[in-house]
Amino acid sequence: MAYGVTQQMIDTFGEIVFKLSLNKQTRRGDPVRELDFAAIETTRAETGLTDEEIAERIGLLPEQVGVVRVFTERKYHKIDQHRRIFHLGGGKRWKKEDYRSPAERLQFREEAMKLRESINFKPELVARYIEDGYWINETLNGWLCDHAENTPDKTAILHPGGDVTYQELKSQVDHLTNGLMSLGLMKGDVVAVQLPNTLDFVVSYLAITAFGGVMQTIHMPYRDADIEFFLDHAQARAVICLPAFKDFPTAEVMLTMKEKLGALEHVITIGDTAPEGSLSLNDLKIEGTPKIENPPVGSDPFLLLYTSGTTSNPKGVPLTYQNMMSNARVSVAEFEMTADDRNLSAAPFSHLYGLFNLHVALSAGATNVLLPAFSPPDLAKLVEQTKATTLFLGPAHATAMINAGLMEAHDFSSVRFSVFSGAACPAQMMEDYRAKIPGTVISQLWGMTETAGATYCRYNDAADVPLRSAGRASPGDEVRVVSAEDGTPLPADTEGELQVRGCSVFPGYLNNLEANADAFTEDGWFRTGDLATIDEAGNLSITGRTKDVINRGGVKFNPADIEDLIILHPGVEMAAIVPVPDPALGEKACCFITLLGDDSVSLDDLCALLDEKKVAKNKWPERLEIVDEMPLTPTRKVIKGKLIKRL
Amino acid sequence: MAEEFNPEDVKQTCESYVKKKGALAFGLANIETLDRIAPEGCRPADMLPKVRSVLTVGVGGGTRGSWSADAKTLAYIGDTETMAYRIAYGLAFYIEAKFGYRSIFVPPDMNPEKGARVPMQSLKLHAEVAGIGARSMAGDILLHPEYGMMYYASVFTEMELPPDEPMADNPCPHPSCVKLYRQSGQTPCMRFCPVECLSGSIGNDDKVEEMNYDSHACAEMSQQYEAIPSVLLDTLDAKDPIERGMALHGPENQVIWYKLSIGAGELLSLCYECMRVCPITQTAPMANPVARGAGMRQKVIEAEAAARAEQAAEKGE
Repeated sequence: MAYGVTQQMIDTFGEIVFKLSLNKQTRRGDPVRELDFAAIETTRAETGLTDEEIAERIGLLPEQVGVVRVFTERKYHKIDQHRRIFHLGGGKRWKKEDYRSPAERLQFREEAMKLRESINFKPELVARYIEDGYWINETLNGWLCDHAENTPDKTAILHPGGDVTYQELKSQVDHLTNGLMSLGLMKGDVVAVQLPNTLDFVVSYLAITAFGGVMQTIHMPYRDADIEFFLDHAQARAVICLPAFKDFPTAEVMLTMKEKLGALEHVITIGDTAPEGSLSLNDLKIEGTPKIENPPVGSDPFLLLYTSGTTSNPKGVPLTYQNMMSNARVSVAEFEMTADDRNLSAAPFSHLYGLFNLHVALSAGATNVLLPAFSPPDLAKLVEQTKATTLFLGPAHATAMINAGLMEAHDFSSVRFSVFSGAACPAQMMEDYRAKIPGTVISQLWGMTETAGATYCRYNDAADVPLRSAGRASPGDEVRVVSAEDGTPLPADTEGELQVRGCSVFPGYLNNLEANADAFTEDGWFRTGDLATIDEAGNLSITGRTKDVINRGGVKFNPADIEDLIILHPGVEMAAIVPVPDPALGEKACCFITLLGDDSVSLDDLCALLDEKKVAKNKWPERLEIVDEMPLTPTRKVIKGKLIKRL
Repeated sequence: MAEEFNPEDVKQTCESYVKKKGALAFGLANIETLDRIAPEGCRPADMLPKVRSVLTVGVGGGTRGSWSADAKTLAYIGDTETMAYRIAYGLAFYIEAKFGYRSIFVPPDMNPEKGARVPMQSLKLHAEVAGIGARSMAGDILLHPEYGMMYYASVFTEMELPPDEPMADNPCPHPSCVKLYRQSGQTPCMRFCPVECLSGSIGNDDKVEEMNYDSHACAEMSQQYEAIPSVLLDTLDAKDPIERGMALHGPENQVIWYKLSIGAGELLSLCYECMRVCPITQTAPMANPVARGAGMRQKVIEAEAAARAEQAAEKGE
């Protein structure tokens, strides 16, 4: 240390040196101008002392005082004050309450920074998306504000409790935003939501994202162990949920999580009365326009979704506004959706498909009709009551309504456009559906949590396109099929591994280096793990999963086609074929089934069926397992990993 | 030994000199008064032992328009103090050359060995005692009823010249400020100070009763040179490379480096390759300084010729 000054000396003498050196000038009257020397003398002691004077007084060398003073001043001397100069003058007058330094305003928690660190887009692709106009500076709340300003009286939401205009929705969102911010939540914080498709979900979503928060969705069927994994992995700071759902004491479980998980601070429940230890969402609605100092912008992450985990643990997928908003915005024109549409999603908003649908309708300024929980009669009734014009549903939803005769019993004539997604769409089912709504245009959409709505049939595509494919790539996205062996692109109509690249594709998994290393090619193509073909016109057909492929003695085959045939057996409800190790052939096919009735089904029965369907013998299953229940994801996909573990 | 001069004439000559150079105000401070007020080490004789006179000049700030500009603009254009320094610097040479008395330009700088913001000499005190400014409620910034705010610079000389008196009246507080103070308890300068370093009171006689000025708080914002070492130290301390980079490259710190570059000799736009090859730069008739000079000479020759022709015509030649 210089001049024999130690850190201890700085700590010991710093305060008094600083105090004595501080030049707080006081002048009483005008003594210098009036040459009132006596008065000058009285104020002299009130000005700061020189280092020499201080040294004399406290017993240090003047040079040592200098060192102590400089280092202590550094503690008090705010170096960013000169920045205020950028906020002065030019017709404005300084108001303390109007100014906070950038360092004070733009704060992020460590967890939020970690989430942001997982956003890794390829720079050259980002440049392309921005130059081509796909990525712009838009946010969900920006859209809401635009609609609230331009079409304030337009109905934004139709829900069982009534209708809500865009202006009213904005007001509700503002109030909840105030409440969430009053809890100390800040930009980048993850707020988990486990809610059905209700007005509370929509308002919560918009309020969380309004202050820059990141919404994590938790599917309604998830229970304790899953919820703990998701909240912990996301480092969620708050969770918004029902007090209870069916027989599941949601709030109670969430409060237990609050005790267990360090990051989780707030459990917020729907309704006026909150279970002890939780907060009522309604109590968090505070009047006034929120003052957001660190507002969200287009490049921010705002959604944290999780993969369904059919083959491994669920993976966290952060999505930015630019990812999702661009995908929705460009899709509005492709679907020919307008502000006059009344849009209904049968898919849950906790899932990417449901959110995509919500975004598209919000982008168009249309009305979103809310179906809190799917049941075939409820969906059919709601379509009739609200005269929904666009319907986003899964094949299972349609099949259930068709089988129950609901499409004849209710008026579906208002539905001009129907989009199917979420699972493989049998052509026969889609034809049946279309036959029941002669005026409707049908479409098939393919996407994943990681890709958003990557391909879909356009509103004006030929009628047969959606029967055999999930359409072309969404504007700004590209799809290709490559050889699973060497990654070379394959010609049209050849089955291979599907890869996607584009503005809607996610930027990398959260805290998962291993998965990220496998997920992308060098030039930014996302390896979907799906098997597919793409025809000459660019229309995509999903044929299976790469990880499902059975390698029987070197002959590889996709079991999806075989599964589709097996469920044609009258006694089979669901079928899933997985590989089972074989010492001679390497792998053989094992078929798991659930039964429709009480009559059992044998392996021979299934083989006879496949023989009848002219399926090559080497693709026949060689082992049969009958189970009571298939392990399913909330989106009703079979978790084959769990089946393999049973073998 | 220097030649004898009439002190009043010398004073007037000096005043004419500085005003011709752009100064608005000129005065001489009484050294005895200064010695009684300035602390030891900061008196004129501490800098020039045989000093007999303290001359001070005041130079106006920016244009009226500059007060309407934003502070960032003002920060770039507001440094007319350098003009005051240039004038005083010239005056010191002028006195030595014309009258033969040793003189020095008084550096406006701090004496870092003395402590926090201790100047070597108080230019403000010189100007106030010389009667070209009076202390205001705005942190004792000097004001002049005719010229408003000025920048000041001083010259010490061994030539004895007659001193002036401090101003008879103080223009501060302005009647409108008194009115606002009566209503709100604050003058405009107190109310709008971004670091709240000003406070005080006005007496029943509408004059300053007490003025408090926290120069430490003021310096945090206004003395950017003090921020430089802190910015550098913070840069060294920063663990995060982005934080480290932003400490230096942050847009709000750039003004510091900009000014530093300007102060170090206008190290900006030094390349000029584009202008070297620009045909307009190279061929415009008056672009070349030599050509400009030649052009002027030619104009003078033409003007003289025209004058001679006119005279000849008048004489009927």
